Amino acid sequence: MKSRYEAAKNVFIDSIDIDDYIELDSSVSAYRQLQHSIEKPLKMILLFGRPGTGKSILLNRVAEKLKHQKEIYYFDTPATNDKEFFHKLFKVLTKQDLPKNTEVNFSALVNYCKGLRGKREIIILLDEAQMYGPEMMEKIRLISDSRAVKFIVSLHKTEDEDLIAKEHFQSRIWEVIELHNASKEDQAAYIHKKLLKKNLFEIANSLKEKEMKLIHKFTKGNYRECNKLLFTIFEICEYYDKNEPSKINYDRVPQRIIEMAALKLGYIDV
Amino acid sequence: MYDIKPLEEKWKQYNRKKKRPLYISIGLLFLIVLAIYLIKFTRIAPLDSLSNPHNNSVIVTKTQKQHHVQKLLINDSLDEIETNEIQEEIKKVLPVEPIDEIPVLEEPAQTEVGTKTVKKKKVHKKIHLNIIETSSVSAYKDVAKRFYQAHDPDDSLFLAKAYFKKGNYKKAEYWALQTNKVNKNIEESWLIFVKSKVRQGHKNEAIHILESYLKRSHSKEAKNLLQKLKK
Repeated sequence: MKSRYEAAKNVFIDSIDIDDYIELDSSVSAYRQLQHSIEKPLKMILLFGRPGTGKSILLNRVAEKLKHQKEIYYFDTPATNDKEFFHKLFKVLTKQDLPKNTEVNFSALVNYCKGLRGKREIIILLDEAQMYGPEMMEKIRLISDSRAVKFIVSLHKTEDEDLIAKEHFQSRIWEVIELHNASKEDQAAYIHKKLLKKNLFEIANSLKEKEMKLIHKFTKGNYRECNKLLFTIFEICEYYDKNEPSKINYDRVPQRIIEMAALKLGYIDV
Repeated sequence: MYDIKPLEEKWKQYNRKKKRPLYISIGLLFLIVLAIYLIKFTRIAPLDSLSNPHNNSVIVTKTQKQHHVQKLLINDSLDEIETNEIQEEIKKVLPVEPIDEIPVLEEPAQTEVGTKTVKKKKVHKKIHLNIIETSSVSAYKDVAKRFYQAHDPDDSLFLAKAYFKKGNYKKAEYWALQTNKVNKNIEESWLIFVKSKVRQGHKNEAIHILESYLKRSHSKEAKNLLQKLKK
């Protein structure tokens, strides 16, 4: 027999699927801010935040929402080298594949972009931009100077990546949008909305304020960590439901199970 | 989920560790309660001895609420004497050295009643008086008020001595100075004045004052004090 917790567990499989996007006060505000920045005649916009604060899903949503209004492209996985990146960019700009055994001439590409000024406005969403090296970032900046291509660059906020941000963007970025971890209230709303979206009302109701507080304490409001913890919680619940139902309270997820999941993920230690 | 049993064990360990501070806090709380109880118990024990008929003591109680009633309990005879116009309330219980007379802080009219009481008791039995209650701040205020009216150096000297004993050296200095203004030949007042200065950290000033005083006095105690201060 299928456990009721199996569906709940699958809700929290980490993904950037647009269908999984949950509208929270904070995410709505970040989305509006980004949308507003896109409207401005800016060359580069930096989306900044710690891993798991929802940058990728936000870019995804922007791409999805604006795809019919603007020429917008989402580069989800970073190119491993310059050649691959410029191949991708060439395809986007010219809407043609690069002929075999040929390479993109960077100067020619910049000139091509300059020629597009006033004719087209291309928006490129660059996720995981910390993977690009400083030289590559400089080239991206030069392309953005053509004013025909606008880049929205998403960066992880770590010490090294802070350096990239400082060195290559500080003087060139016109807008910085920083995403933060969720507050207790936002995280609780996020969990509830996610479960309710899949019609798991009873399970959503079994996570009361106290449990939400504990989850927030362990995950510090990070959405990715929250997904991982919830997945593990429901995985444990699923085990008990199937094998030792006497050990589980269906009305309320026991604190013991949340702590067990936190132990398993290493948030706490013995 | 294959590792549930080891995870359960791990959680049990974690839970025990988590609850440890709680157990320690409960233990500490119990110890504190026990200590408070023991302290209370040891404090009550000497008070019980007051009810012992062989213990010679006097309990002086003045009640402001009743405003016009003064109770004077001598030994266990529970004699009560009512007097009028008492304006202080005695709050503190302070042991005072045995004295033959009860210090009188009331109006002269009341003094008579108080003296009579003591005399009356003396007639019955020769007792050793031990005051266990003394005047509150308001009592000092009354003495001060009386001093401003009558300028009796005894009153100001009493206040200087009392404040010095209580460690309120600023007030002790003030009242010693008031005494000196009324009568500059009271040696005790000069000594309190100088000692208060020293206690407030004005040693040089104290030496200077003492030297000035010694120019017109041959007080042995003042000389000794000066030597001590100069060391």
